[in-house]
Amino acid sequence: MATRGIDFASLSLMDALDLAILVEEEAQERYEEFAAQMDQHRTPDAARFFRFMAENESKHGLELSARRAQRFSDAPRLVSRAMIFDIEAPDYDAARAFMSPRRAMAAALASEVKAHAFFVAALPALKDAEVRSLFEELRDEEIEHQDLVKAELAKLPLDSGLSDEDFVDEPAPQ
Amino acid sequence: MSATGTCEFQPKDYKSDLKPIWCPGCGDFSVVQGIYRALAAIGRPPHEIAFVSGIGCSSRIPGYTTAYGFNSVHGRSLPIAQGIKLANPDLLVLAAGGDGDGFSIGGGHIAHLIRRNMDITYIVMDNQIYGLTKGQLSPTSQKGRVTCTSRYGSLENPVNPLLYVLAYGAGFVAQASPTDLVGMAATIEEAIRYPGFAFVNIQSPCVTYGEEAQQIKGLKAISETLASLGHNPADRLAAMDLAQHYGEKLHLGVFYRNPEPPPTYGDLVKERQTLLSKDALPKERILDLFIKK
Ligand SMILES: Cc1ncc(C[n+]2csc(CCOP(=O)(O)OP(=O)(O)O)c2C)c(N)n1
Ligand code: SF4
Ligand SMILES: [Mg+2]
Repeated sequence: MATRGIDFASLSLMDALDLAILVEEEAQERYEEFAAQMDQHRTPDAARFFRFMAENESKHGLELSARRAQRFSDAPRLVSRAMIFDIEAPDYDAARAFMSPRRAMAAALASEVKAHAFFVAALPALKDAEVRSLFEELRDEEIEHQDLVKAELAKLPLDSGLSDEDFVDEPAPQ
Repeated sequence: MSATGTCEFQPKDYKSDLKPIWCPGCGDFSVVQGIYRALAAIGRPPHEIAFVSGIGCSSRIPGYTTAYGFNSVHGRSLPIAQGIKLANPDLLVLAAGGDGDGFSIGGGHIAHLIRRNMDITYIVMDNQIYGLTKGQLSPTSQKGRVTCTSRYGSLENPVNPLLYVLAYGAGFVAQASPTDLVGMAATIEEAIRYPGFAFVNIQSPCVTYGEEAQQIKGLKAISETLASLGHNPADRLAAMDLAQHYGEKLHLGVFYRNPEPPPTYGDLVKERQTLLSKDALPKERILDLFIKK
């Protein structure tokens, strides 16, 4: 999780909304990528969960876009995806072939925790009152997202005690 | 997007529709993201970029970009990249591949590219293993490493890619890793901007055949930015000193950037052509060369 070239102290409300939309877009795309990776590696349960996450991120992104359009109409975007790195998107390293739904959910939970930490860390630098209140709102929403994933985790049957690593072969002479 | 390259490009403009078939979790996913971002910052349109690779998991990378790509032959990305650059010097030429591709079968090509100083950026995704062929020893594997081809542990010392290229006189040498995404994108961008041969070694974990210590967590534990050490990238000897710690420490950033970049091979060729063209016959009299008077 990192940013490049964002001056939080002078962030305007429009730029803050646009950044928040980009954060959701990045997360949505990453979950879609993960779902496609799971399809490729015949891991359907994790794929289904990652698609569920992608839909959620898309929903949040659309809500934010509607607010942005209402307030700033089609004023050109001044921030770009090049400024954000894996804020709410799970790290690429979090995916594994044949990962269990539990592990997929743990990866999603970790990224919601990461996103919460991002908004918490940015808050002290913000000067604009409206931007601050937007970031507070987004920070709190990350807790709601964490609860959503926890609820999915709670629906899973009890853990079998087996780990994904149990299915990895040792190197064999060839 | 305009064809002049004057408009702004976004990282997604360099992402192709092809879905990577790397193992989920592979470090190369982050590397290609770093490349998209670096290319967006450079702002050359995709059709002005040629991206050449050899063979290996990492060598699939050109296909995941919208640049012209050539997933060539194992170990041969550099001669092909040089041919492309010579034929069309205006292209931005990138070469990429694995540690096996670059330092085993293709190792002999690096020296010649460096001494020619062609304006090519070479990105090696160093995972200390042959990934594509299922986990055999690579030239950068640690001594003692147990793999399917070294059941009792490797008896060989690893090649040090950083010292290798520094010793041959590369003008730009850097190291990056998915442990620092911002740094990786910035380093690739800087390498591309360097006017001459530029080398970036990227420690990119193989989650399927790599060792635990070489995964993101292990790499983070040994990583340190060169900037935080106060390293002066104009100091080649200091760079060589730091590069000796390859394998024990993960130094991130620019080891060496020649403060006075010498002319590239392309510059010298142009100069030579200008010089010789003064005495050259006009096209319509070219046959005179072969006709005895
Ligand atoms: C001439 C030739 N020799 C050997 C091979 C088999 N081969 C394919 S990829 C590879 C090594 C891959 O390792 P590396 O370059 O480190 O790339 P990685 O898969 O780790 O990214 C080998 C030996 C080949 N394709 N062609
Ligand atoms: S084998 Fe290793 S290098 Fe190849 S795609 Fe899988 S994780 Fe990446
Ligand atoms: Mg390799």
